[in-house]
Amino acid sequence: MKNIIRALRTERGWSQASLADQLGVSRQSVNAIETGKYDPSLPLAFSIARLFERSIEEIFDDETEAKLAAE
Amino acid sequence: MTQQTFKSAKRRYHRVFWPLMGVYSVIVLAGSYTLNQMDPEPEWLQASLAVACAVPVIGTLLVMLRYALETDEYSRMIQLKGFAWAGVITVSIIFLIGFLQLFHVIENFEIFWFGPFFFIAFGISTLIMNGGRQC
Repeated sequence: MKNIIRALRTERGWSQASLADQLGVSRQSVNAIETGKYDPSLPLAFSIARLFERSIEEIFDDETEAKLAAE
Repeated sequence: MTQQTFKSAKRRYHRVFWPLMGVYSVIVLAGSYTLNQMDPEPEWLQASLAVACAVPVIGTLLVMLRYALETDEYSRMIQLKGFAWAGVITVSIIFLIGFLQLFHVIENFEIFWFGPFFFIAFGISTLIMNGGRQC
């Protein structure tokens, strides 16, 4: 799932390690989510949204919905 | 088990893992030295040392499992996939060697080596899944 976490993080000048600390996850987790290799669970997605003061939909791009709309 | 942050789960893991490894090393070294000094080696001591060596290894497996259950969701996925792959690879090798023995292709194979093989398979699997980084 595509997302804008890297952009939001760099906007705030945070490193991956710093974001990982704030979310209570490993730096590898942040990297995997940012690169779209791993889709976070709903509770983690909510934590990310809360931290960046955005809604989940603003951060994560629901490709399934786009595909359905295209069909 | 309660959900913790990645860092506290890692701390809890290291706090138990390294002492267990220390105890294991001491038992193996002191045990083999003591047995070498005795002739004949008493059977009760051999049995006690065998059990004493196995206990920290079993403890390590349980600590690895506890870490997998307590850590963050991505690391948990990597750890549990590592356990699964290591289990599949180890059991596959057990079957292969077992059939080779049944059909008299090879002589008896020490069952002990499947233990270290599992740990190696687990380590390699988790490293591959995590792009060469430790999780």
